[in-house]
Amino acid sequence: MDRVAFESVRKVFRHRPALFNWLGRERAGDTIALNSVSFAAAPGEVLVLLGPNGSGKSTALKLISTMLLPDSGSVHVAGFDTNQQAGDVRRQVGIAVATERSFFPRLSARENLDFFAALDEVAPRERSRRIEEVLADTGLQEQADTLVMKFSSGMYQRLGIARALVKRPAILLLDEPTRSLDAATTAHFWTMIRTLVRQNTTILLATHNFAEAVSVGDRLLLLQKGELLAERSIGSGESMEQLRTFYFRTTGETDEAASPIQHAGRVL
Amino acid sequence: MISSLDKLRAILRRDLLTAIRHRTGFVLTFASLLTQLAAFYFLSHSIGPIYRPGGMDYFPFLLVGTGLYIFFVMSTQAFLNTVQQAQQTGTMEVLMTTSTAPAELVILSSISAFAGNLVNLVVYLAAGVAIFRASVHANVLACLAVLILSLAIALALGITAATLQIAFQKGGAMVWLMSSGLWLLSGAMFPVQSLPRPLELLARLIPVNYAVQGMRMALLQGQSISAIAPILGTLLAFGLLLLPLSLWGLSFSLKRARQNGTLSFY
Repeated sequence: MDRVAFESVRKVFRHRPALFNWLGRERAGDTIALNSVSFAAAPGEVLVLLGPNGSGKSTALKLISTMLLPDSGSVHVAGFDTNQQAGDVRRQVGIAVATERSFFPRLSARENLDFFAALDEVAPRERSRRIEEVLADTGLQEQADTLVMKFSSGMYQRLGIARALVKRPAILLLDEPTRSLDAATTAHFWTMIRTLVRQNTTILLATHNFAEAVSVGDRLLLLQKGELLAERSIGSGESMEQLRTFYFRTTGETDEAASPIQHAGRVL
Repeated sequence: MISSLDKLRAILRRDLLTAIRHRTGFVLTFASLLTQLAAFYFLSHSIGPIYRPGGMDYFPFLLVGTGLYIFFVMSTQAFLNTVQQAQQTGTMEVLMTTSTAPAELVILSSISAFAGNLVNLVVYLAAGVAIFRASVHANVLACLAVLILSLAIALALGITAATLQIAFQKGGAMVWLMSSGLWLLSGAMFPVQSLPRPLELLARLIPVNYAVQGMRMALLQGQSISAIAPILGTLLAFGLLLLPLSLWGLSFSLKRARQNGTLSFY
């Protein structure tokens, strides 16, 4: 059975105009975040949602996590409907969101993890051991007792990953997880994710970084403006160069491998 | 049940640690309570001993009325602050993806916010007795009964404020309505019988009014549970009506926010 299944999912965000809108310039209207999108993810698979900003990647992850509900279509997680069985879905899913500061600033990293672990119903007897494990996995042992209000962006991001891991979810949702991480931490992070995959965890990664997507994913879903443009299995015979050309031609994005500085020219 | 108690422990610990690490805020809260108490003490002294509403000395009358007024308003405000901060920092969305049902989470968080302010209320009343010599003849059981039922009503008011915040980003309106309306209609400063008839009738629809009356009778006059049974019954009826209603409203507004993607709007 598929761990995650999207069937003809549509999600539209409606922007109602403000009162006295003539005083300002607030945009009104609808934004189609996802338009009749269908896909599935299997146990132990790394499925990458790849696309530029505003393509619907984060919306898809939020729909799986039950933060959002679909307007039409259905989202099933481990066989549970996100609309009707949200509680069962949440027990299966861990999410590391791009929002950096989604922690309690006057609690330490360890205290924050303990708090979220309690809400995620991690047994009290097991809690300290699991927290130590995820602190070690994310390289936060030395900062474990520092108040998170003193954390840097990268440390916040590592703590977000630790929080998602502490419940040992069957499905792990990662939204731009390495955006603020240094190279060594990123490499360690992906090694850790590979270990989880070997333990049959399903990973859904939302990113706009093509190089990262092809190096860690098993399958790519290419999204743009809420549409699922294409689906590619990595290592299915298509060369990396063909995939790269396909992605950048389809989305019209700039190739990150080609340095933006080269395009801008020398500035000094 | 064990899981809910464990979650409540985690939430209480979070709120306590946050409160004591806001060192200045923690000290200022108690300083502010004592300042207000002093102001009411000198107000009652200025008015003099002739004014005895309901046959009680005015300062103890004010002590109970204002103590409960502060409890209801401040605890609703504190709970609303928790919700607003969670929206502003993005914690709200993450909290809603944990294994804890959103309604359970909000109820447990509100219990924590109200428990903190219950401590403030007890400190306020104790300071009134110890420092300002308010004379009390407490019936402890009756006091506890009023407190427990008041807490249920306070929870319902707090959850309603959270619902307004999540649905319309306007939870502050509830606090404004409470803080201004309750001064006039709760009987905190003077008996509601002094109000014009239409306002007195309106005051009878406000549960805080019964909490204030019941606590005065139990704490200042030492009346027993059976003596204040009609008031306890009214408080219970309000609790049984308002708590499920507020929970239904919360559940509806959460579902609507998940549908519209406005969970973290503030």
